[in-house]
Amino acid sequence: MGFFYIGDEATDAVATNGDDVAVLVAGGELDYAASPQLKERLGESIEAGASHLVLDLSMATFIDSTAIGVLVGAVMRLREVDGGSLTVVCEEENQRVLRIFEIAGVDSLITLHRSREEALSELALAG
Amino acid sequence: MLWPAEVRTLIEHDTSSAVAGELSLPAEPAKLVMAREYAQQAAAAFGLDHDRSYEFVFAVNEAVTNAIRHGAPDEHGHIMLSVLSEGDRLTFAVRDYGTFTAPGEDRGEHAEGGRGFALMTRLMDAVQLCVAPGNTTVRLSKARA
Repeated sequence: MGFFYIGDEATDAVATNGDDVAVLVAGGELDYAASPQLKERLGESIEAGASHLVLDLSMATFIDSTAIGVLVGAVMRLREVDGGSLTVVCEEENQRVLRIFEIAGVDSLITLHRSREEALSELALAG
Repeated sequence: MLWPAEVRTLIEHDTSSAVAGELSLPAEPAKLVMAREYAQQAAAAFGLDHDRSYEFVFAVNEAVTNAIRHGAPDEHGHIMLSVLSEGDRLTFAVRDYGTFTAPGEDRGEHAEGGRGFALMTRLMDAVQLCVAPGNTTVRLSKARA
């Protein structure tokens, strides 16, 4: 199995619009083998009350269509809640992952930011 | 990470960058990483550049995922991967032993699944689907430049 990891990040250092923002980090190879755990972790955050998820994929070395499908599923769940959103963070240097998002046709569902600060400040403004 | 020696040695190539080989792969999600490694080795042996190698590996991963997810393995639980170069074109074939059933209509942007094939066709120069009784083969071809 490829190496991957998924974890939570504290958001204390950055001003946000409250406890409904959760930041998750997923790195390594996000393929069909990793997708069930990715889905579980996103689901846990949603069940814990987060309505805005920020997922940092800067350290992802690979992402496939099943992992993107998991993200789309999370967006649809978040949208059931009032005004929920999923934001993906991916550094400009990580062209492999950015390229797949560009051609996957999910622009209207998933907002992409190049840094976590940018993503969180946008959420704070929106809040 | 260590790869089984057979992955490295299965791809034969000579000075003209001709590439040929096959790999019987257990039809398990955890083995996708081996399929990607195999495709990467073939792309390198053939001489695809960095971007085209990545596109090749990405498309192979999608095809193998589909075979594991929607297809059926042989009696040993395996699917067959093969790679062959013809002139300036490198072709990777993924065969499973299920009888292909066409997916329903395009389920659209909000659907969780159904993106793999579109991504494959976007990233490869040719994608062929060969449906036969008892097996289904997807052939992905990429030109050297």
